[in-house]
Parts: sequence; structure tokens; C-alpha cells
Amino acid sequence: MAENQKSHGGIIIFTIVFAMLLMLLPLPDSLRFFRPEWVLITLIYWAMAVPRLVGVGFAWVVGLLMDVMMGGAMGVLAFSYTLVIYLVLQFHLQLRQYPLWQQALSILSLVLLVDIVTVLVSPTMAGWHVWLPAVSSTVLWPVMYSLLRTVRRTFNVS
Amino acid sequence: MNYFVPIRSVLSTVVYPIQTMAALPKDISDWVANYFQSQRQLKEKNTELEATNLLNSVRLQRLKALERENIRLRKLLGSSFRLRERVLVAELLTIDLDPSYQQVVIDKGQRYDVFVGQPVLDATGVMGQVTEVNPFSSRVVLLTDPSHAIPVQVNRNGLRSIATGWGLGESLQLENLPHNADVRIGDSLVTSGLGGRFPVGYPVGTVVSVNFPQGKAFAEIGVKPAAQLSTSREVLLVLPAKMVEISKKSPDTDTETETEAEAER
Repeated sequence: MAENQKSHGGIIIFTIVFAMLLMLLPLPDSLRFFRPEWVLITLIYWAMAVPRLVGVGFAWVVGLLMDVMMGGAMGVLAFSYTLVIYLVLQFHLQLRQYPLWQQALSILSLVLLVDIVTVLVSPTMAGWHVWLPAVSSTVLWPVMYSLLRTVRRTFNVS
Repeated sequence: MNYFVPIRSVLSTVVYPIQTMAALPKDISDWVANYFQSQRQLKEKNTELEATNLLNSVRLQRLKALERENIRLRKLLGSSFRLRERVLVAELLTIDLDPSYQQVVIDKGQRYDVFVGQPVLDATGVMGQVTEVNPFSSRVVLLTDPSHAIPVQVNRNGLRSIATGWGLGESLQLENLPHNADVRIGDSLVTSGLGGRFPVGYPVGTVVSVNFPQGKAFAEIGVKPAAQLSTSREVLLVLPAKMVEISKKSPDTDTETETEAEAER
């Protein structure tokens, strides 16, 4: 049982690390602002699907690592990811029942929440482009959902 | 206030493998493109480089003569002269960071004695300075970052000012220059060396716009950075230069020695 649980954690961490790579991957300047919040939507999926394994503490650690990796102020993403995952954990039963498009809209509001926190502490005057990741994340959600569900079923994470 | 520096350093070391991994695809594609270059292309490139090298060495000869002359003149003035700085070559990790900050990660860290505040140059001008040093990597904040300012002077007349960053894709702005400031479009700006962070005389940028808005206290002057901030792969880290003391009489000398001590700390 213990070994089983360990491998579950492993696949979740693997997807998170993969999402981090996607966050860092160099993109041409025109596409840069459309980069979806890969790590956040991966976290949301796992929190929604297996709230037993992915909790607020895990979100905090991932957020802190993201802060350091992306070079922002330490704690900004840690706080906002924690906030989002808390909300997801509160409503994960409802979220699972929603049709996919309605889920995507919930994702929009959650990603916007992270963006608002980021904008509030950002030193730059925020342009309209700071809201683009929320849009691309929403559009991408159905794909990510089915992909991660396949991963979850293949590795039997529950 | 620096309690979190060691924590951040440890976490940076934890994520460094992820960062290098994210840079891999670009590295591999570069390597492949490099490997399959035709001989003709290489020959062309070689000829081109040889030509530039020749030009540069001719210019360098003249520069050496000028430098010696400068030392002699400064001796007459009784002020000290800063020797040429030594540099360390580092490479950027090709990864995208948070677009609201203007910063890059380079592959040299504590092991190469990189220090916070160390100036970073590329082939054409000043890029920025080191803000965070980790065992294997360091973080460099670029001139265009909103939190960055660099003391500059106009090459033409020695007018001093401070150029601050305004974020991605924006030009630098010269702060607090009055309406009668003698700045023209096309003026080149170099580092003034005041503040002691940056060595004197490296190109920072050229003035691209000059406005004197009515009813505002200061002029609005836009500067295009000289460094290729978005395309450079190799950067130079400047090591502090040794000073040649010629005379201790002038007040100029004292301030320069002080900044030297500060830079070495």
C-alpha cells in the first residue's frame, strides 16, 4: 500500500515538473504572452481528481519553487496557488460534476485570481497582455483534462 | 532583511536542473544546426570574422596609444587611472522567465566568484547587473527592468544623468533632466562610473526621442539600449580592475578608490 502511494506521488510530481519545463520553454515573443499557466492547471486537475494526495501544502511548495524558478518575488505564486487549491478542494465535488465547458469557466476564474495577485505585486504597469494566460489556459483546459485523466487512469492514481 | 537569501539560494539550486532541462531543446537544435553547416558557409563566416578581426586589431592599436596618452594626461592632472577591466565569459540559459520582470539566468555562479552587483556586458554594450548568485547559476537583471537604473553620461558633452528601465520592449528613460538639457536625438550614452557599480565608458545606448512636455518639470528622453538584450547568448562578467595610484592629492582619486573597495567587497 505504502509503495503504491509512493508511485502515485511520483507520477503527480512528474507531471508537475513537466509543466514547469513547459513554463520555461523559450517561445517567440509574439507567443510568449499566450503561455498557459501549465503548472497551475496541472495542480488544479490533481487537486480536483485526487484531493487526498494534493493538498494546500503541496500547492504552497510548488508555488514557492515556481517563484524562485521564474524569478519573481518569493511567496507570490506560493500564496496564490495555495488560495486557488484551497478553493478547488472546497468545491472539488461540484467541479467534478460540471460539464467540461463549465469546468473551463471555473478554471478561467481561478487563473484570473492568480493573475490578479501577480498584478497587485508586480512592479510594472500591467498591460492588457497579463490577462492572456487566463484565456489560453481556459481554452486548453478540456485538452489538459482529458490528457491528465488518461495519465491518471493509466497509472491508477486515486 | 537578508534572511531569505540563503533559502532562495537553496531553492534556486533545486530548480536549476529543471531550468537547464528546459534550455536543452534550444541547445540541441543549435548544436544540430551547427553540426550540419556546410563547408562553404563556414568558409564565408571565417573570412568575415578574419576581416573583422583585422579591423578590430587595427583599432586596438590606436586605442592602446590613446590609453597611454590618457594615462600621461591624467598624471598631469594629478588623478588616478583605472586599468582595463578583466572579464569572464558566461552563457545565458535560453529559458523564458516571468515576463513582468526583465531578467536572465546565466550559467556561472559562486564557483566562478560571481558577486551581486557585478556588471554584465555583451559585445555591443552594457546589459545589466547580477542580482542573485547561486552555486551553479546567477540571475542578471537587465537595463530595461523597471527596478533598474544606471548612471550614464552623454558622450558628446559629458552631461550626467540616470537611465531607468520601463519594462519589456520599452526604451530607457533619462530621469530628472531639465528642459534646457543639451541632449539630442542620436547622442550616444556611456556609463559614467558614478555609484561605483559599473566601470566607466561602456556604451549604454543612443537617444531615440527627446520631448519637452509643457507643464512638466522634466524632459522626457527615450534611450535605446546598445546591448542586444533579446538576442545575445554570450555575456561578459566584468571583474573589478586594479587601480593605479598616481597621486593622492586630488579629491577625484579618493572617491574612485572608495568605489573600488566597495566593488571588491
